[in-house]
Amino acid sequence: MLKIENLVTEYGAVRAIDGVSFTAAEGKITTVIGANGAGKSTLLRTISGLERAKSGQITWADKSLIGKAPESIVRSGIAHVPEGHAVISQLTVAENIEMGSLFRRRNFRSDVKLAIDEVYELFPRLAERSKQLAGTLSGGERQMLAISRALVSRPKLLLLDEPSLGLAPLVVEQIIQTVSDLCRKSGLTVLLVEQNANSALAVADYGVLLSLGKVVANLPAAELKADASLRAAYLGY
Amino acid sequence: MEQFLSAVFAGTASGSIYALVALGLVLVWRGAGVINFAQMGQAMFSTYVASTLIINGYSYWIAFFIALAVGTALGTAIDLLVMRPLSGKRGSAILASPAMRATVPVIASLGILGILQSAAGMIWAAEERGFPAPVSTLGLSIGGNIMPFTAFDLFVIGIVLVALIITTSFFQKTGMGLAMRASALNPEVARLSGIRTSSVRTLSWAISGAASSLAGLLVTPNANLSPNTLDLILIIGFTATVIGGLDSLLGGVLGGFILGLVISFVNVYDSPSDIFLAILALLLIVLLVRPQGILGSKEVRRV
Repeated sequence: MLKIENLVTEYGAVRAIDGVSFTAAEGKITTVIGANGAGKSTLLRTISGLERAKSGQITWADKSLIGKAPESIVRSGIAHVPEGHAVISQLTVAENIEMGSLFRRRNFRSDVKLAIDEVYELFPRLAERSKQLAGTLSGGERQMLAISRALVSRPKLLLLDEPSLGLAPLVVEQIIQTVSDLCRKSGLTVLLVEQNANSALAVADYGVLLSLGKVVANLPAAELKADASLRAAYLGY
Repeated sequence: MEQFLSAVFAGTASGSIYALVALGLVLVWRGAGVINFAQMGQAMFSTYVASTLIINGYSYWIAFFIALAVGTALGTAIDLLVMRPLSGKRGSAILASPAMRATVPVIASLGILGILQSAAGMIWAAEERGFPAPVSTLGLSIGGNIMPFTAFDLFVIGIVLVALIITTSFFQKTGMGLAMRASALNPEVARLSGIRTSSVRTLSWAISGAASSLAGLLVTPNANLSPNTLDLILIIGFTATVIGGLDSLLGGVLGGFILGLVISFVNVYDSPSDIFLAILALLLIVLLVRPQGILGSKEVRRV
């Protein structure tokens, strides 16, 4: 279980995360929604160690993550797929995937191969293009690659930041469906940040609504989806 | 024809040394974001160590490998003792702004250069000394004909080719090489993938140290060794990286060979006094036509 308590993250004078508390239940999809600038990405970046928390606590599997570097946080089973199809475009598809498993090579050599085979099975299109440079892929394929890079680290918790950004609705559907299947099948815990609240709430178990760095609602996804007044006030539709 | 061939061979031999220097510079630039002015100071220091060993009766090859080890150790030590503390918590007050983060390590490398040169002066009394070549530096004669190249030219080209092949396969075929490329291209994604970027940084300094000590060993038989003889090589090597593209390993190597050939042709067909004019002209042309260098990426860097 991921537990966040009174988390505060600042960029200079701007308080991007302002006393956020919630938990992400194990084996479930929790989606964090909210308008632009609500602090969704900052929240994920603080969990994965890319940003330093000003105060508050983040606990994962009963251990605090505060003050740890991203490279050690990923070793504790948390994989972060940052916003914007974060792959390295000058490396090949295979190299991008291999990169995510480098730190496991010494101790889990046979499983690394297995994990790589699994993501190719999950996204056969990446297998076809494994020798191509990641920069030549389409947006959707790049997002699949970014997720694969995260999955080969064998995470228990997947932090997904706006996988739908800039993608065609059909591709978004496919990617979100794949992640949701993974979660149901393998017990992966997912924290999904989305601006596209509808598609996120459709697959999520719980929804956390952020506004200006504060939690304004934390409900089961279906209830959040049904609440017309919250939608109108914070999501604008 | 003979003159032409001799210019080609001499240029390729010295070009391969500049390529090594450029390789060392690009490695540290990509891996650690620092232009390392101490690089040829490190090379000078390790070459002095080799020279002292040879004077004391050790064989060339023992001295050769010990010098490489000293170069690697010096590079590692610079990162661990100077660069890492600078980017650590205690250094954060000095390095609060991006401008300071970009300049302070470079100034520190100049300081290290000063320390190395003074230390070499104190230890080895600053006198110029020769440095032996393992093979003859006179024109090779095959079947009574004097060839337009020396055995040492061939030796240099061969050693550098081996070094380049080892470096390339390290970067392309090993996990550590992939980790180094990934952290240079996108440190954030690399760290999220579990790559320890601080170890990668140290490794960049170490390999760069090895490459530059190799350059020192190969260049001194034609130069003479004193605490600041290698300054000039650094300038040429740096020009090579700018011509080839500061963020491309292949570019730096290519730039080194181009410069070596240009210098050699000016030397043979014009006069040695025009060498720096030619380098400057070449640099200007590249900066005007392709400011990022021949193989450099287009990302704009504001200084």
